[in-house]
Amino acid sequence: MREFAEVLRYREVLWNLVRRNLKVRYKNSVLGFAWSLLNPLMQIGVWYFVFKILFQRDEPNFMALLVTGFLPWLFFSQTILDSTACVVQEMPLVKKAYFPRTILPLSALLSNLIHLSFAFVVLLGLFAIWGVDVTVYYLWIFPAIIMVALFAYGLSAMLAAWSVFYADVKFIVSNLLGLWFFLTPVLYPIHLILNGRIKSPDNWVEFFLADHLPLLKQLFMVDPLTIGVEVFRSALLYGGENFIRVAAAGETTPAQAAAIQAALRAEYPLLPYVVGAAVISVVTAVLGQIIFNRKADQFAEQG
Amino acid sequence: MAVIEVEHLWKKYRRPHVKAGSVKELLLAMLRGQRGYDEFWALRDISMAVEAGEAVGVVGPNGSGKSTLLGLLARVLKPTEGTVRVEGRVCPLLELGTGFHPDLSGRENVYLNASLLGLSQKETRARYDDIVDFAELEEFMDSPGKTYSTGMVIRLGFSVAVNMDPDILLIDEVLGVGDEHFQHKSFGRLLDFKKAGKTLFVVSHNLDSVTALCERALWMDRGRLFRDANAEEVVVKYKRAVEEWEASLAEAKAKGYEPAG
Repeated sequence: MREFAEVLRYREVLWNLVRRNLKVRYKNSVLGFAWSLLNPLMQIGVWYFVFKILFQRDEPNFMALLVTGFLPWLFFSQTILDSTACVVQEMPLVKKAYFPRTILPLSALLSNLIHLSFAFVVLLGLFAIWGVDVTVYYLWIFPAIIMVALFAYGLSAMLAAWSVFYADVKFIVSNLLGLWFFLTPVLYPIHLILNGRIKSPDNWVEFFLADHLPLLKQLFMVDPLTIGVEVFRSALLYGGENFIRVAAAGETTPAQAAAIQAALRAEYPLLPYVVGAAVISVVTAVLGQIIFNRKADQFAEQG
Repeated sequence: MAVIEVEHLWKKYRRPHVKAGSVKELLLAMLRGQRGYDEFWALRDISMAVEAGEAVGVVGPNGSGKSTLLGLLARVLKPTEGTVRVEGRVCPLLELGTGFHPDLSGRENVYLNASLLGLSQKETRARYDDIVDFAELEEFMDSPGKTYSTGMVIRLGFSVAVNMDPDILLIDEVLGVGDEHFQHKSFGRLLDFKKAGKTLFVVSHNLDSVTALCERALWMDRGRLFRDANAEEVVVKYKRAVEEWEASLAEAKAKGYEPAG
């Protein structure tokens, strides 16, 4: 709580750092802030080419599925990457001026939230072109983003603190994010994982996965990113119908879709997983802050 | 009334042996039960107080703990033991141009820098013209920081700091920055501060400016407060001690001994 009051007292520093982060990211680029959405759009263009054209995947609204999944993911991963470096990068400030250190990961989080909202505004424009209806269910994106933001902040805070002492952290983080991306339902519908199995395990990794598959699927379902991305996506595209509906949306006949939907609903009741993911987010945020505070006093003595 | 109060202050640092040891070295060291670092006391049992309006200089050789003491007063470092109490608006001039970003304009940098020193947006706006005037950089304020020379960065940093109207000014080795003209000007500004009844705490190797600015001086040696007295007296004794030490080194060398550090 005292930490919170301190941050409030130094909010000018926070705003100045956020403003600086925003200004500096696209400095010297002609298109400036447009890159907030151009970047994800170009990435999505690549996937569109790979999956829709090369692999001929047949999914209704494929572009919309990709964009709505990718924006929360990009927010998460960019926040983590920025924060992991934030204290190390600002070492000259940390060594020479007092301010609550929490401001550093917080400024990374806030600047990425602002990028997300820029991107979101342009996304709404795209929706208008594609003819996607705006509904009251859109409001669900706020809890979804808050959950992802809390989770991202907690991880950011601990990674920012550790990377002051161990340069290894940033390498581990960038590689783990690469894996995590594929464990988050951005490029594929959620039932791909939920219905997935290891066909013929022939090494110890695959045996391990096959043996623990139900538990791993449950872990996948309480990952705040899985839930965050799915709630964000279904709020925007499926009028609030939950992700199970999303999961079944790609099936060929309505009867097939309904069967899959019913089976998945029975096996994965939504509420406990959403609550579980929310609890994990909050716990991560608190834990991250505790770890960060414990290390913060030693930042200025490092390097 | 004392505005700075330091009681039985100890500060311990860890000094790593190798900056980035290999995994093999690390494992071997662990097997031998070694730690990867030494501990040493940068400050040992410092107690002192500074009254409002006093100007105090700190002298001593490199590694005697002067900058550590200043870092503790500026709240950048935390004491290992003991207490530090500082009252009023503190302006740490630890390194000028701190937080100066090469991609931001001079104006944006002034606002960022001022907020780090505790000034609100509104307060900075009110002081903006004075800051630019004092730095004499009017025509550069809209250019990005990377186009500034080192001297310009330092001038702007100093100007922001002295214009924030602090109660206590902590100064680390920044006397005599910039060109001859700016040196006179900034020294004059510090004298004005003194006249206005502000508190100055100055770490410097420039002994003449210490005697010119301060009535009182602290002499630090290997983390201890060795002497706390009248500035002239401390500086004279410190100079003599350095001369004696150099003479004994020269003598030892003449006799063929290696200096033991």
